[in-house]
Amino acid sequence: MKVKPVNHAKAAEAFIEDTAHMDFHDERLWDLRQKRDGQMHILPEWQELRARASAIKEHTLANLPEYLEQFEANAKKNGIHVHWAADGAEHNRIVGEILEKHGAKSLIKSKSMVTEECCMREYLEPRGVVVTETDLGERIQQLDNQMPSHIVVPAVHKLIPDVAKIFAEHYHTDPNDNSAQSLAWQQRLAARPVILSADAGMTGGNFVVAETGSFVVCTNEGNADLSATVPGLHIATIGIERLVPRMADMGVFIRLLSRSALGSPITQYTTHFRGPQKGSEMHVVLVDNGRSHRLGMEDFWTSLKCIRCGACMNTCPVYRRSGGLSYGAVYSGPIGAIIDPTFNERKYSTLPFASTMNGSCTNVCPVKINIHEQLYKWRRVLAEHHELPFVKREVMHMAGKLMGQPTLYRAAINGTEVALSTMPRFVLYNWLNPWGKHRELPHPVKQTFHSWYKQNRLKTKKKEGESA
Amino acid sequence: MSTSRDAILTRLRDNRPDPKAHPLPPVARLGDMDNGQARFENSLQILGGQVLERQEGDTLATAIARRFPDSKVICSAVPDFEGTIRIEELGTPQQAASVDVLVVRSPFGIAEMGSIYLSEAQLQDLNSAAHLTQHIVVILSAKNLTANMHTAYMDRPEFHTANYGVLMSGPSATADIQGVLIRGAQGVRTLSVWWED
Ligand code: SF4
Repeated sequence: MKVKPVNHAKAAEAFIEDTAHMDFHDERLWDLRQKRDGQMHILPEWQELRARASAIKEHTLANLPEYLEQFEANAKKNGIHVHWAADGAEHNRIVGEILEKHGAKSLIKSKSMVTEECCMREYLEPRGVVVTETDLGERIQQLDNQMPSHIVVPAVHKLIPDVAKIFAEHYHTDPNDNSAQSLAWQQRLAARPVILSADAGMTGGNFVVAETGSFVVCTNEGNADLSATVPGLHIATIGIERLVPRMADMGVFIRLLSRSALGSPITQYTTHFRGPQKGSEMHVVLVDNGRSHRLGMEDFWTSLKCIRCGACMNTCPVYRRSGGLSYGAVYSGPIGAIIDPTFNERKYSTLPFASTMNGSCTNVCPVKINIHEQLYKWRRVLAEHHELPFVKREVMHMAGKLMGQPTLYRAAINGTEVALSTMPRFVLYNWLNPWGKHRELPHPVKQTFHSWYKQNRLKTKKKEGESA
Repeated sequence: MSTSRDAILTRLRDNRPDPKAHPLPPVARLGDMDNGQARFENSLQILGGQVLERQEGDTLATAIARRFPDSKVICSAVPDFEGTIRIEELGTPQQAASVDVLVVRSPFGIAEMGSIYLSEAQLQDLNSAAHLTQHIVVILSAKNLTANMHTAYMDRPEFHTANYGVLMSGPSATADIQGVLIRGAQGVRTLSVWWED
């Protein structure tokens, strides 16, 4: 049976129609982007940091087998159990076996995109393990039965009343609570007893240091450190691309990560795990799940440099206005659009079209991934491999809806009828561009778009002016 | 023995780009080299941490009593301060969860970030205590400030020796609900630095 491609445009449409949610989402992520810019301007060495980060990552990927072996040897020396998982199923089996050996029935975990990739909760829960997400945003998503909509801020598409409703249902709190402060406090109160009685803890890992056999976890809420240090068993699930050669390389990455992600200089917690705590056990599961295959894709291997900061999502006009869930994939936004097709080319064939190709993602990426060029290359690949009618419809639909401008929509359709004969040139062509060129690019924009922009963006602009 | 291990490594060897085309750059020592107390305090404040106020005639005990008047369990992880209980007396994380204020000494801070470092050496092997306590007071010497993340990773031996090493930069925080920044999420609700010189 053929999988159906994700209908991003249709999902995005629903999101766009809910004005309150979309406006908040758009403004909140743009605010993160601006805070990131503020941090960048403070550091004269910013571009040098990016160049170094990129070079270190490319070197590491080109020498990945050796660095993985070095990490494994050092980690074992430090007393860490190291496991290798070829795919999600193997990862889940390994974790299940570790838990079973310890008779562990409750697992607390911090945010990890890799466990999302592996659908680990879905595997463990029928086997009698209660999995509790302890990151606030991730917990909200777990209770609401949704995937994270953003890799850094998983519930960014929700407003306070949404959270109040979810907490009321599960934590029996006031459904009309309209204070973020008090809702966050409810999460702390609900999580503490679960954390204190958990049998096992799980974290991800932002960086893995070959030289020391350590891994580094960057978080803000304190839940990852609680998950790792309270139970006597710590399992870390980490993608094999997360290596860096030397501890001294961490300076470059820590200086870039949180500044790019949230516009804060550093995460509140930067934790270095080099071995088990006294009396505890530590396991690292190194997960491939398609990464070794991606390394061989000439045009796309550099996507493995990604440090999952989310900056490309925050800056992307399509992502900001369509919401992460509309991508129907674990990874959304520009980075999702270039890696999701490597998991399932047909299912995610529409995602590389969810872009205006304005290049903003590439400009903000701290490890200098040429994201918009990879989007372009994916369009070519997909146009060659898949049925064009769907792709064509998708792009049309998206243009019309996202631009919110019927005249332009019609013009776009008319304009492309001609270009269609020269597929795949048309899909590479950027008549979506006017929509993306709002604040990011200095070029003059088309009048029709301009009037739309003025009408729609006035509110945000005023706000920016006030704070300037 | 893991067959997946070998399969993954083989696939990586077959698929990787040419290593010769991607040399390892030398270690970077970049940025502002100011390791002063003023820079540290400014960074600390940006991340939501504070300096514990020292009034005329204050000891650490009087300063804590003034800052945390309602606290009952004050736990000490340092030899030169008493508190109401010593960290060694807390046998388990469950007991550590009752602590209101934990007093601990940090071997170094990072001026660029306002971060302080703690490992199992300072936490007497009860690492969870640093996160289960409601508030943390960190004793720090201005002599032990390093300028930035590069100098920290290059010069501090702890990153190569500790099994558990955390850089705490202010208290725990979240902005996961409608972007509202909340200081005091699931870990410590406040973090205060006490200058010891
Ligand atoms: S692709 Fe670049 S900008 Fe996007 S999440 Fe990854 S590192 Fe960040």
